[in-house]
Amino acid sequence: MEQQQISREQWDTLAREFRYVVTDAICRSGSGHIGGVMSLVEIVITLYYRVMRIRPEEPTWPERDRLVLSKGHAGPILYTALAYKGFFPKAWLATVNQNGTRLPSHMDQILTPGVEMTAGSLGQGLSAACGMALAAKLDGKSHRVFCIIGDGESDEGQIWEAAMFAGHRRLDNLIVICDYNKMQIDGTTQEILNLEPLADKWRAFGWEVFEIDGHDWDAIYDGLAQADAVTGKPAMIIAHTIKGKGNRETENRVDCHNVKVPDEATYGRIMCGLECKMDLPY
Amino acid sequence: MNYHEKEMRVTYALTLNELIERNPNVLCLEADLSKADATIPEVSTKNPRNFINCGVQEANMIGVAAGLAKEGKIPFCASFTAFATRRVYDQITISVAYANNNVKIVGNSPGITQGPNGGTHMCFQDLAIMRAMPNLHVYSPADANELRAVMFHMADHHQPTYMQLVRPKMPKLFDENCRFDPQSAVRLHEGADVTLVATGFMTRFALDAARELSAEGLMVDLLHYPSVKPFDAQALIDSARRTGAVVTVENQNIIGGLGSAACEVLSEQHPVRVKRLGIPDQFGEVADQDYLFNKHGFGPQHIAKACRELVRANT
Repeated sequence: MEQQQISREQWDTLAREFRYVVTDAICRSGSGHIGGVMSLVEIVITLYYRVMRIRPEEPTWPERDRLVLSKGHAGPILYTALAYKGFFPKAWLATVNQNGTRLPSHMDQILTPGVEMTAGSLGQGLSAACGMALAAKLDGKSHRVFCIIGDGESDEGQIWEAAMFAGHRRLDNLIVICDYNKMQIDGTTQEILNLEPLADKWRAFGWEVFEIDGHDWDAIYDGLAQADAVTGKPAMIIAHTIKGKGNRETENRVDCHNVKVPDEATYGRIMCGLECKMDLPY
Repeated sequence: MNYHEKEMRVTYALTLNELIERNPNVLCLEADLSKADATIPEVSTKNPRNFINCGVQEANMIGVAAGLAKEGKIPFCASFTAFATRRVYDQITISVAYANNNVKIVGNSPGITQGPNGGTHMCFQDLAIMRAMPNLHVYSPADANELRAVMFHMADHHQPTYMQLVRPKMPKLFDENCRFDPQSAVRLHEGADVTLVATGFMTRFALDAARELSAEGLMVDLLHYPSVKPFDAQALIDSARRTGAVVTVENQNIIGGLGSAACEVLSEQHPVRVKRLGIPDQFGEVADQDYLFNKHGFGPQHIAKACRELVRANT
């Protein structure tokens, strides 16, 4: 793991900035998946700033680590990280989900530099991540494949097909993070389709399982380091997160999955909910 | 007619071995139907590293293939037509076609050739639904030599593709050096009285009908379409200009497949009378080929009859 010497306060500052920028980018388009974006901020920052080996100036560098964002509706938080790391100009963020954009609501590998796999129809990204990890094994390459799935997404049968496949093939170059914010579109995961016992399920499918606080910098970093050290089986990090985290208008609210921003007043109210004010980088 | 010595599925497996030996990035993916596809033992023993059996999980197989393709592999994913297409239509849509990942999907035992497996397994709509998918080519080779040429083309071109794979031995229609061009239909019988359009499994029966009619003095212009998409519109228009009458025949529902492709072209560019033969919008059932040909009216004698009737109606 590559460590960058930045203090916890500096990481917090960056996370606040990410939340401010990504909320603005989503709200500009009139609506978007704020809830599942905000729950991933610390995880995505840790991956792109501390863990993944990448070359923004060479997005298809063969030795890079790959990330598949299987919960494709969280695209804007990945776009924010990619823009901040220099894969494309930050000005693109002002075009999220607008006519002619290269940053659509759901991931598109053809449109966006740094996006590894098209995703949006839930359950499919994890299978693709398995294929990418298998390709690395076949070619004897040492890069890692990360994949982020949603908890609601885990209702999909294809997630469990892929879970069985990766366990059977002992894909220890595959590290999956489940954004367990306990909410899906229609309600809590507990009331819609209970996932528990979630960790036991993954263990039963042949995975090494870690559970972390998905907003705690050290826990995320240590969890990823431990997952990276696992041999002989794939690793699942169940990240306990808070949907809509960091905005009093959305935090821990079921109705924050897809937020409508029809007018300036709503925009102002949601931006105010972030309780900070900063200049936008575009 | 002379038959090929090998079943089509054996040619599929042997050709995969050839392709793998030429390019180790070619992979054989299966979903527990390897024996039906003859890749066990042909590929699994000769090229075990390139043989990936996913188990009975077609959706995951397509997704895994998309990930492999993204990394430069060339996965051929086979299953029965029903499970290779309609069961995984969204996976093919998003992970393969929309994402432009270079995956080759192979549907074994199309249409009525599922025989004893019956209605649950008979897929009469794969040509229609795959043809309606942007950025996907749709092929249906008619004999073993053409199958081999199609597979070489697939391996050599970055193009998400669906191919029907007829399983049994088929009559020899093409020689060993035959070439495949997805932009070109192949004229198998020349005539100026009626145009006959066929693909895949039905082409040999269409040729039977053309020869029978030729003995009666009715000359059939038989166009075989190894590629249903892209569809060689010009060949059909040129032929229809000469004949003024078109019969289509397919091992599919007549809604949406080859006949529809022909009608789309003709209605817009050269309207002529068309008769579509195939399954008249029904599900399959456990039955043999002749029973289903007779029930639905698309065997060689029905093809000949439709050609005669259309020519008569035009005169």
